[in-house]
Amino acid sequence: MKLTRRDLLWGAAGTAGLLVTPVPWKLLDDVSIWSQNWGWIPQPARGPVEVKQSFCTLCPQGCGMRVRMASGWPVGVAGVASHPFSRGALCPLGFGAHQLNWHPRRLRTVRHGASSSSWEAARAAFAKACSEGPVAIVDGYPGRAASSVFQTFVQEKKGSYRTVSSPETLALAPYESWSGVPAAGMGYDLENAQTIVSFGAPLLDGWATPGRFTRLWAERAAGSADPQLRLIQVEASFSRTAARAWQWVPVHAGSEAALAAGVARVLLEEHLVPARGPMPPMTLAEAAGQTGLSTGAIADLARTMVARLPAVAIANDDNPAIAALNVVLGAAGARGGIVRKSKHAESYASAADIGSARAVLIDSTVPWDFTPPTNAEVFRFAAWDGGSSTADWLLPAPGFLEELTDVPTAPASAIATYAVAPSLLKASPEVQSAAQFLSGIDPALITVEKVIHARCADLFRGRVGTLQGQEATPVAKFASVQKLEEQLWRGAVWVDESPRSPAFRCELKEWPATAGPAQAVSSSENWSNAWRAPVLPPLASKLYLESSLREVPDRRNV
Amino acid sequence: MNARYGMVIDLDRCTGCGSCMVACAAENNVPPVPQASPRTGTTPMLVRKVSNGMEGVAQREVFIPIMCMHCEHETPCVSVCPQQAVEVDKATGIVMQMPQRCLGCRYCMTACPYHARYFNWWDPAWPAGMEKSLNPGVAVRMRGVVEKCNMCHARLHSAMAKAAVAGKWEIDPADYVPACVEACPTAAIRFGNLADQNDPVSHEAHSPDAFRLLARLDTEPKVYYKSKEAWVKALAESKSGPGSEVKHG
Repeated sequence: MKLTRRDLLWGAAGTAGLLVTPVPWKLLDDVSIWSQNWGWIPQPARGPVEVKQSFCTLCPQGCGMRVRMASGWPVGVAGVASHPFSRGALCPLGFGAHQLNWHPRRLRTVRHGASSSSWEAARAAFAKACSEGPVAIVDGYPGRAASSVFQTFVQEKKGSYRTVSSPETLALAPYESWSGVPAAGMGYDLENAQTIVSFGAPLLDGWATPGRFTRLWAERAAGSADPQLRLIQVEASFSRTAARAWQWVPVHAGSEAALAAGVARVLLEEHLVPARGPMPPMTLAEAAGQTGLSTGAIADLARTMVARLPAVAIANDDNPAIAALNVVLGAAGARGGIVRKSKHAESYASAADIGSARAVLIDSTVPWDFTPPTNAEVFRFAAWDGGSSTADWLLPAPGFLEELTDVPTAPASAIATYAVAPSLLKASPEVQSAAQFLSGIDPALITVEKVIHARCADLFRGRVGTLQGQEATPVAKFASVQKLEEQLWRGAVWVDESPRSPAFRCELKEWPATAGPAQAVSSSENWSNAWRAPVLPPLASKLYLESSLREVPDRRNV
Repeated sequence: MNARYGMVIDLDRCTGCGSCMVACAAENNVPPVPQASPRTGTTPMLVRKVSNGMEGVAQREVFIPIMCMHCEHETPCVSVCPQQAVEVDKATGIVMQMPQRCLGCRYCMTACPYHARYFNWWDPAWPAGMEKSLNPGVAVRMRGVVEKCNMCHARLHSAMAKAAVAGKWEIDPADYVPACVEACPTAAIRFGNLADQNDPVSHEAHSPDAFRLLARLDTEPKVYYKSKEAWVKALAESKSGPGSEVKHG
């Protein structure tokens, strides 16, 4: 067939005519839609959606959490505005925490060395160890119902109970040795402070309860030229907190103690404060030499601190010189400073000094990189495998929202609180909590549920404080312990409002030895380092891989 | 409904924590992509760090959350899309992206002056079992299409459904709060109806400290920023754009 000029014209006209009809565009659209609905593309589950209140238990702060559940699975989390401390805020990792239970590094099988084992074998090995010598149990969140279970167990077995403290509690340790008040019974009264001097503490980057200080800062300090609350950040590097602070004081790394001594000397020499403590042996010139600041800058800092009282210094770790500065300032045991929040707090022995033990059981709340300083047989509970474990036994623990637990007072909080985080997800049969594991060895051991029930009964009998949920209800108004417990299980928080004196007396006879820069190196931690789970939520990839916002932290599986 | 939804972001309050980024991704079923980079990841809400370029105590830094600016006038992505996959919703002012129509030509990405659009380079995939944690209100997007912030449109739908059940035409503003706004621990990101004179966000958008990025392009973005610092305001018209780690002396 011969193609003529007329055929071409007809063809062109036909094509043009087709293009003005919806047919090709509809086909294109359909192809596009069709190619986006392949069978292997995951589809969200359909089903009833409900919202449940709980608490984040991935660090000891216990921020209030609203969990949106679809078909029984958590599909989103948000903060709880009525929570007394977190006030609706969560850390960025908390927003992706509901996906952690399916993390590829989730532990599902008992491991003994490099091989798989069983719960029966692990229990038999731990029972044998208990019969052969003392055992130690290491707890990361002391004060929980599970902690009581651990303490009861070691008491019966003549073992020892040890804890790994949060950085905020560690920073309170010097006051414990000077006053006798347990560090766990103290907190920071930031809400009443006018000047806060942070010595390397990441106050705006997840220090303590992430929402507590950030909300306070946003309300009283952010953006204003002369804020009601002055945040001064003393730090070697220009951190996130330094960037937002009212003033950044750059010092040589590790010279925070020298600066504290220099500031205290100015305060005492210039009589800016009453003589509450001993004169530091370090001269102002020596402090200036160590910190890299001028003597004038140190004196200015001292004057700025007392210009708006109450002022408080916050250390990032156990730094006695900064605690001594607070004693000189009058911030130890005073409103707007370090206050006593509870008369019933206990002192805990540190896990850094376990002593001789036949076996050590490490709870899943203990940071993954904790290694017990002992040659004992180690039984390590963990929900996720952080890699490079030296534990003899690796025991799979319940994951996020899979375990009933209670939430005692957060470290650094100035008021005692109590809450219950019910298990919103059914844990798979292959995982067990440390308390369940111990119950298998000693069937007479008290359970977490019974301890929580007993604590609720204590609160009811005490008739003090308020339950803060959708609305605040004084405990005295509850007709029965069951009603009170019901509210706690629904996400309410008990807040101690009993009249008490925040004061305690510190006996500081001599200025603590100031470590030189070579011995003490300050490190700015943030929530990614304080995060206790050895893995990060998969969506943390947004923070670490897809933005230049943060550097990928070491030892974390993003 | 005749709203103009927008945001005012107070940069003096932003601490750069990144909560908004993670909350946005969780709400909108954005998959975690272990192989992604800042160039290839899908981050509809992206916080960038910008320095004033000074050293020592004069150094200043600010964190700028960048998302779709929901341009009202001559919306660049709308005008270049060959598939009509982008449109400005007349009822809300939200610039809508319809992935079902998108062919993946990426003209819109080139046209967007804010670099706020993202191409899905990979099939959406989650570790085994994690698909149970997907938000049932948001469909998963396929590889090969462009996506961006839609001001959590699924939440608007829920609010409208709730209002309809109650027999109302207008939604309760408390029922429609985007995930990033809800997540911000310092309340730096505020959301509201810019067309409503009584809405506090509308007032803030007209405060002397408020500004819009690249306002000279006359696209009338509905995302406003606020800062008292002059060097931060100067970023708005920066020739290099509000890119990450950009220093402005």
